[in-house]
Amino acid sequence: MADKKLTEHLANLSKLSFTDEELSRVTDEMTDIIALMDMVQEIDRNQNTFTLPAVDYDSLRTDNADKSFDTQEIIRNAKTKTNNAFTVPKVV
Amino acid sequence: MAIKELHKQLSAKEKGAVELTKRYLDRIEKYDKGINSYITVSAEKAIKDAELAQNRIFSGDSGLLTGIPLSIKDNICTLGTRTTCASKMLEDFVPVYNATVVEKLKNSGAVMLGKTNMDEFAMGGSSQTSYFGGVKNPYDLTRVAGGSSGGAAASVAAALCVAALGSDTGGSVRQPAAFCGVTGLKPTYGAVSRYGLIAFASSLDQIGVCGMTAEDCAIILAVICGEDKNDATSSDKAKGNYTELIGMSLKGKKIGIPKEFFGEGVSDEVKTAVMNGAEVYKDAGCELIEVSMPSLKYAVSAYYLISSAEAASNLSRFDGIKYGHRANGETYDDIIKKTRSEGFGDEVKRRIMLGNYALSSGYYDAYYNNANRIRTKIIEEYASIFEKCDVILTPTAPTGAYKIGQQEKDPVRMYLSDICTVTVNIAGLPAISTPCGYDKDGMPIGMSIVGKAFDEANIIAFCDVYEKTFCRKMPKERNSVQ
Repeated sequence: MADKKLTEHLANLSKLSFTDEELSRVTDEMTDIIALMDMVQEIDRNQNTFTLPAVDYDSLRTDNADKSFDTQEIIRNAKTKTNNAFTVPKVV
Repeated sequence: MAIKELHKQLSAKEKGAVELTKRYLDRIEKYDKGINSYITVSAEKAIKDAELAQNRIFSGDSGLLTGIPLSIKDNICTLGTRTTCASKMLEDFVPVYNATVVEKLKNSGAVMLGKTNMDEFAMGGSSQTSYFGGVKNPYDLTRVAGGSSGGAAASVAAALCVAALGSDTGGSVRQPAAFCGVTGLKPTYGAVSRYGLIAFASSLDQIGVCGMTAEDCAIILAVICGEDKNDATSSDKAKGNYTELIGMSLKGKKIGIPKEFFGEGVSDEVKTAVMNGAEVYKDAGCELIEVSMPSLKYAVSAYYLISSAEAASNLSRFDGIKYGHRANGETYDDIIKKTRSEGFGDEVKRRIMLGNYALSSGYYDAYYNNANRIRTKIIEEYASIFEKCDVILTPTAPTGAYKIGQQEKDPVRMYLSDICTVTVNIAGLPAISTPCGYDKDGMPIGMSIVGKAFDEANIIAFCDVYEKTFCRKMPKERNSVQ
């Protein structure tokens, strides 16, 4: 069961913010969703966890340096940029 | 018209590639205001593609897809054409590269008409969570088209393209295909490169195809499949001719019918239509075997925990700094929180919150690890069934398409309606959905044929046998494009 404290904690982890009204709604929704997810508690814990289907991770290709994208192209989608860099507010 | 027939007409110069593309663009202009299957129509680019295709046809350098107008789901990157994921977050995002599948289609001479509408970030089964407005079902504009590839399926059903690329993380190609009365193929995990597919849940995502027939889907799969140096999970096992088994005898083949897929929540109309489909296979000489998947009852919970955990990680890249929506804020953290709160819709936020819940301290073993234990069980149960069966037959969705607004606001109800499709993604298997009936409201019902990993040619051949016996009723928007 979710409460406002848990919802706030999850919102913080998720880098999301909610108004008080939204927080109440989301808490109710998360309560219902977690109740559905609780079904997985019934499984036998002796069962192996990870089995990834159909992928052979033992035969990865050699890592080769290759030409990448043009810097100007890469930053074209950024809302704020200076020369060849993304810009963010001063952190330190 | 089927791809092979269009190819014949283009090759015989009975039809021009530019003329064909213009006809589809005209149809989009005329019919898509009501359906809303496209977010972006790239008319100028499509005509240029068609001109190039026509030159290839004139020079004798054409393949089956040369000049064929297709649509691409809007979570697949297209160089120079915006790719929004149906989200405010990526409303203005223009990729600097083509996804591998788009590059392969381009090399084959296919024409891209535009980018199709979907649930935001492919999270949903109704295509109503799109920032650009919901997709309406061509059979009844008051009903949903399914999702998340609702635009892809609707664009095929209404003849607003010949076929479409979609993506399938938990049923997102097959379920809208079933709702819109078309064929939907979800290939084996690893069969098609995911490079350039904007990631939702990386261990479950797979690019798939919506078409009018299994054969059309097979023709497109043959072009887009294969190993890719840009996707470590792509496989060299996926290659070859996916139409090679079409026409094979089904005499003596064994079809598994898992009883749990016909349980509570699945409508009687769906059960009857799928079992009528099974009878067609029986008449063709197949043996129907009742099989069991006891872990199905846990599948939806396991799927939502795994996919949401992966989504929480994958969507952490959307911070407003490098691309996408950017909110104003005083501090770095302030900008990120405001950007994500403004840029993501409600369902995407719920999935990120659930994913972080499953991954967070104190809950990880109880939720994420248990979900993966269930994943292992489901893989084992499929393997056990395939020891005695060639394919498995199930409903694609518990009901036909429902009225817009009927259940999309209830997340738990929406999640539970994925029960028939999610196990295929959990186990990384191929599956194909094809129409097998219509409900009392005239809405299509789909059945799915599930195969062993990399056995697409087999399920396509099974599907083709059924499609040649089934008489489809088409939506009224699907007027002749000849």
